[in-house]
Amino acid sequence: MKKKSFFSRFYVVLCLAFFYLPILVTMIFSFNSSKSLTRMTGVSLRWYSELINNVEVARAVYVSLSIAILATVISTVLGTITAIGLSSHRKIVKDIVLNVNNIPILNPEIVTAIGLMLLFSSAGFRKGYLTMLLAHIAFCTPYVITSVYPKVRSLDPNLANAAMDLGATPFEALTKVIVPMIKEGVFAGALLAFTMSFDDFVISYFVTGNGVKNISIVVYNMTKRINPTINALSTIVIVVIIVVLVSVNVFLPKLEKRTDHIHPRVRRGVTIFLVAALCLGLIRCGSISSQNHVLKVYNAGEYIDLSLLDKFQEEYNCTVVYETFESNEMMYTKLASGESYDVLIPSDYMIERLIKEDYLQPLDWDLIPNASGLMEEVMDKSYDPGNKYSCPYFWGSVGILYDRNIVDQADLSEGWELLKDPKYKGDLYMYDSERDSFMIALKALGYSMNTVNEDEIREAYEWLVEQRDTMDPIYAGDDIMDNMISGNKAIAVVYSGDASYTISENPDMDYFTPNQGTNIWYDAMVMTRDCSETDLAHAFINFMIDPESAIANTEEIGYTSTVKSAYDAMLDGTYAEISSYLVDDSDPRNEIFGYQDPKIKQKYAELWTKVKAQ
Amino acid sequence: MSNKLIELKDLTKNFDDQQVLRGINLDIYENEFLTLLGPSGCGKTTTLRIIAGFEEPSSGEVLFNGIEISKLPPYKREINTVFQKYALFPHLNVADNIAFGLNLKKVDKSVIAQKVERMLKMVGLEGFEKRDVTLLSGGQQQRVAIARALVNEPKVLLLDEPLGALDAKIRKQMQFELKKIQQEVGITFIYVTHDQEEALTMSDTVVVMNNGEIQQIGSPIDIYNEPENRFVANFIGESNIIEGVMVKDFLVEFDGFRFECVDKGFEEMEEIEVVLRPEDLDIVAPEDAKLTGVVQNTTFKGVHYEILVKTDLRIYKVQTTDYAEPGRKVGLSFEPEDVHVMYKMGAY
Repeated sequence: MKKKSFFSRFYVVLCLAFFYLPILVTMIFSFNSSKSLTRMTGVSLRWYSELINNVEVARAVYVSLSIAILATVISTVLGTITAIGLSSHRKIVKDIVLNVNNIPILNPEIVTAIGLMLLFSSAGFRKGYLTMLLAHIAFCTPYVITSVYPKVRSLDPNLANAAMDLGATPFEALTKVIVPMIKEGVFAGALLAFTMSFDDFVISYFVTGNGVKNISIVVYNMTKRINPTINALSTIVIVVIIVVLVSVNVFLPKLEKRTDHIHPRVRRGVTIFLVAALCLGLIRCGSISSQNHVLKVYNAGEYIDLSLLDKFQEEYNCTVVYETFESNEMMYTKLASGESYDVLIPSDYMIERLIKEDYLQPLDWDLIPNASGLMEEVMDKSYDPGNKYSCPYFWGSVGILYDRNIVDQADLSEGWELLKDPKYKGDLYMYDSERDSFMIALKALGYSMNTVNEDEIREAYEWLVEQRDTMDPIYAGDDIMDNMISGNKAIAVVYSGDASYTISENPDMDYFTPNQGTNIWYDAMVMTRDCSETDLAHAFINFMIDPESAIANTEEIGYTSTVKSAYDAMLDGTYAEISSYLVDDSDPRNEIFGYQDPKIKQKYAELWTKVKAQ
Repeated sequence: MSNKLIELKDLTKNFDDQQVLRGINLDIYENEFLTLLGPSGCGKTTTLRIIAGFEEPSSGEVLFNGIEISKLPPYKREINTVFQKYALFPHLNVADNIAFGLNLKKVDKSVIAQKVERMLKMVGLEGFEKRDVTLLSGGQQQRVAIARALVNEPKVLLLDEPLGALDAKIRKQMQFELKKIQQEVGITFIYVTHDQEEALTMSDTVVVMNNGEIQQIGSPIDIYNEPENRFVANFIGESNIIEGVMVKDFLVEFDGFRFECVDKGFEEMEEIEVVLRPEDLDIVAPEDAKLTGVVQNTTFKGVHYEILVKTDLRIYKVQTTDYAEPGRKVGLSFEPEDVHVMYKMGAY
């Protein structure tokens, strides 16, 4: 054999490394003993045991698997029949159908997702398991057709005739002759359908509801408080896939030869298994609706102590359907698409918008006796004067997280200008959010962060551009926390709650709110206009601000409680050493984000894009 | 011949707006070897597929033992087919292919094994039970296809150009074997081909088709010797076809001369066409013949020479064992029974 040159080998190794290093890293860190995803501190199975005990993940695995199996079976049958039927049509029909069939494959997933979401909403479907299953069947079937059709086309068109000529009914001809001959195509199509379904995120995310989540959605919601549970889950999935792949490659060729001799009992077993999966899936569809009282809560991801939900359900003998969103804007989109929820937990400026657009109904404070325990400081804010609609949930500030060992204490007096201090060039994270970034610049310049003055906005833009050019910051999202826990950079712009979490994981870090003023924000619980379970909704709100629940919640999440007793308890206890827990709203330069006119919002968005586009 | 087994009555078939069968009337008898012969697109395969049940006629009837079956699905007909490219099931071995029909009927395993073995013996493939059909030669696949059809003991076997994919030598041999098998099993064979030699060799009855219509039905000898029209004459063997006039019974005029013939029953002075088979023409001295001409070209064909003789009006093709050098002036002679008078195409 010709000896391969060093470079060709090197190239192959490089390619393989490129493909597999990320997977390898994921697997290695699943055994990390600490929470970090980037710094290995020791080897343990801690995250696997957490994974096993995580009910949400277990449910998601069930949903992912059962949907994938059902969608695979149904779309394989549908697609195969379609492909076979298509082959005997006229060319023009074939061409049209095959091209139409390609559209969903080539279509951006997001378009399919939104289309399906709107379809289900307008058709009045109850979103959940069934809608997710239907959507998966819809997007898997074209792949099956695409992989089966060429096989069908290569068949002698007389084969079906020959079978019927010998006494086979059309169905027997299909099962005894056609299907055995195209089984490779069917198998490939089924495999494709399974993988497409199993790892789908975008479409599932849009068409699901009522708390039904697959693995991708759960992982996506986990990413804010990223921890190696995800790695553990990923590792298990990878191992399963490897096992399946290897067994397919090793056993299938042997099976091929003997497929006709598979014992009928084995075949019957497979059939029974599939039917059982189907039944289970259908039972799953109906299971939620059997409960009497259902409360649908929509909150930001990783923003509640989940055990509180169980406790509430037990106490009130009801079902809480709990869903999470990634951003206020995402929540708004779902709401606007006609999705119905009972209780939402959005941020101040979004609440202002929801009130303006008549999405909410006023709260009956008589039904929320625990309101007396709320802090005065969080009440009666500009977004909802008199708290007609909203009950504060968490609050906090935006500030700077810094490494005490690197950043000089004296420099803190620079406030936001610290982000422009050349000493820390290349050693900082900016939060990739246009509103927060412009808030920093506007505050540094002494303007209101809600300004609509174009000159001021222009000045702030120039401040950000200059900061970009001189400081070389990294614009990042939720991964900031993990990187700061690992001490990868010295400075980061963060929310106070995230700072508390980071500091509790890495005591070298500290937090301060700059002296030029900052954003003080509030997230609050509101009740939607079409909430029908108003009593239960009030009970839920009341339950969440019960001192005991509030303590559990703030302790778990790290965000600052709006309940006085919980707030005090934390400052005396768990978060005594952590400066970011305390929200200082005394500075008159602090502000709350107000509702933004769409034109102004557009302006900010355009400028922010220009800042990032170096 | 015995009883009528299949009757086709005024069958038509349209595909979209194209008419592929224009009123087919045909009686097929028990134990008959009937061949549908014609060029591609003449409707012979469509006719076969209607008999098999793969197509429904647009109008007309198909009677099987006197019972209308044109709406009966193929799997309910006592008819089996041997397909053009065999259409063997590649996922099954030889024995399983042959046993396919019997398995569907849930025939006892031991009976199936016996029948399969007998069939393999008949088609000369003993010991091939476990072979992979895709690895067989064309001729062997053909035999499996025949066995697969015959094992079901049909009343009629349909064969759609079964030898088309074989090379010439095996084709000859298979023609012989097919005829033998037909005689052995004693059932009706309906055979579709575009090969006139195949049709003449094997058939009891030849049905010549063109353009969706039957041109002539008859024994191979009738078809060859008494073609009813120019198409049949042209399609079956080589012919000199000359336009002429039937003066009266037994007297025909063409190329300016009157000749005796054995045909009658035409109207007096009816315009007709005459077929003179090249092998029926003889080269004689010019003074011994009415038709004279000059040898234009002589080609050696093995058994005979093919000589083109140019007369005043046309070129005659002659097949004879005698040599005549080009340029020589010759006469053409033939017997009255060699003159085949046909209706003129398009006259009816």
